[in-house]
Amino acid sequence: MLPILNIGPLAIQTAGLILLAGLWMGLSLAEKKYPKFAVQPAAVNNLVFIGLVAMLIGGRIAFAMANLSAFIKSPGSLISLNPSLWDLPGGVLIGLTVSAGYAYRHNVPFWSLLDALTPGLAVLLIAAGLANLASGNAYGAPAHLPWSIYLWGDWRHPSQVYETLAAALILFLKVLFPLSRNTRKPESVPAGLFFLEFGAWSAAALVFLGAFRADETLIAGQLRAVQVGAWIILSACLFLLGRRKKQAAAQVGS
Amino acid sequence: MLDRWIIRHWLMFSTTILTLAAGWVWVSQPAILPSSVPKSAPQQGFAAPEFRLNTFAGQPVDLAGLKGKVVLVNFWASWCQPCRAEMQAIQNTYADYHDQGLVVLAVNTTYQDDLNRAAQFAQSEGLTFPFLTDPDGSAARLYQVRAMPTSFFIDRQGKIVRVVIGGPMPEALIRTQIEAMLKEVR
Repeated sequence: MLPILNIGPLAIQTAGLILLAGLWMGLSLAEKKYPKFAVQPAAVNNLVFIGLVAMLIGGRIAFAMANLSAFIKSPGSLISLNPSLWDLPGGVLIGLTVSAGYAYRHNVPFWSLLDALTPGLAVLLIAAGLANLASGNAYGAPAHLPWSIYLWGDWRHPSQVYETLAAALILFLKVLFPLSRNTRKPESVPAGLFFLEFGAWSAAALVFLGAFRADETLIAGQLRAVQVGAWIILSACLFLLGRRKKQAAAQVGS
Repeated sequence: MLDRWIIRHWLMFSTTILTLAAGWVWVSQPAILPSSVPKSAPQQGFAAPEFRLNTFAGQPVDLAGLKGKVVLVNFWASWCQPCRAEMQAIQNTYADYHDQGLVVLAVNTTYQDDLNRAAQFAQSEGLTFPFLTDPDGSAARLYQVRAMPTSFFIDRQGKIVRVVIGGPMPEALIRTQIEAMLKEVR
């Protein structure tokens, strides 16, 4: 665990640094793979940039709206650089809405866009695992195993390591390996399948590995929120995969 | 061949996977005993590690004796600019919520600071909450303080609900967190 990186007088939050590096590496990898998908690189880059800015600003606005009285007493906080004043669901929702609006306006094909962003998402999931390992968040349940790590006063499952390794395995087997085939052409595979398969594998991994976490928010009695959320994503991916595969099969048949 | 079979039987295939996944979520529920108390660790969700330190005036303050109050423990040093910058925001919040049960403990990392300079700063800024000394760094070690300032928001049950590393904390962040903790049922 290395939550803070002290470089001279600077104390840098390692988790944030890893996430930024992951975002940069993910976008770089995605950009290299754009030719494998039916998208315009410039349009995708613009969409990602606009979406990220909207997410940052939207997250702050959502947080301020939810805590209006605190911001009325301290309006200067609205432009604070501190990332703690940020609402994740609100930011993601606003970022996605603005991105969808941009995609619609500039005729960016929806499924091809998601396919093109998949390599970036895969790298970002690895970065998220490493960031959790650095900060000590998403820590594992107590367990005395040869590979247990000592964290927060107990020997625990290295759940962050499990999730990082699973994300790395999915990146290599379900993203990089299929894309490395020279025969892959944008028109040879129905759009959306690449993203949905990645989503299904990642969600399935989280359903399984979430069981080794200890820090979880519980819902409906004693079910871990992360596992329930991942199960819902898995259901959606399988449902959409079925539809896309059948549509593709019908097109080939006709 | 297998791919075609899967597509043809997609409903059965996906239902089987989802049933297995739901079964795993169910059987892997965390075992929680009603009497279980979280261990102490300087992390969100754990009981706040207990310490007993003296104020600048030499009066002892015991964190364990503050159960039932909302506590903000702030590790700081007088040479640390972000620490100094956030003190007025803490003071404003303390002035507004002290009557409702907010306690602020500003733990000076005395082992790496000048106590006279720290006391002078507190006085000149008109800060009215208790300032504690940590002469041997035992409290800072207990809370694994790696950067200055570091703040721990502790609820009425003595559980850490938020850790903020670095600063200065915006006043809205302090107010938002304190208001949420004060609203919680005792």
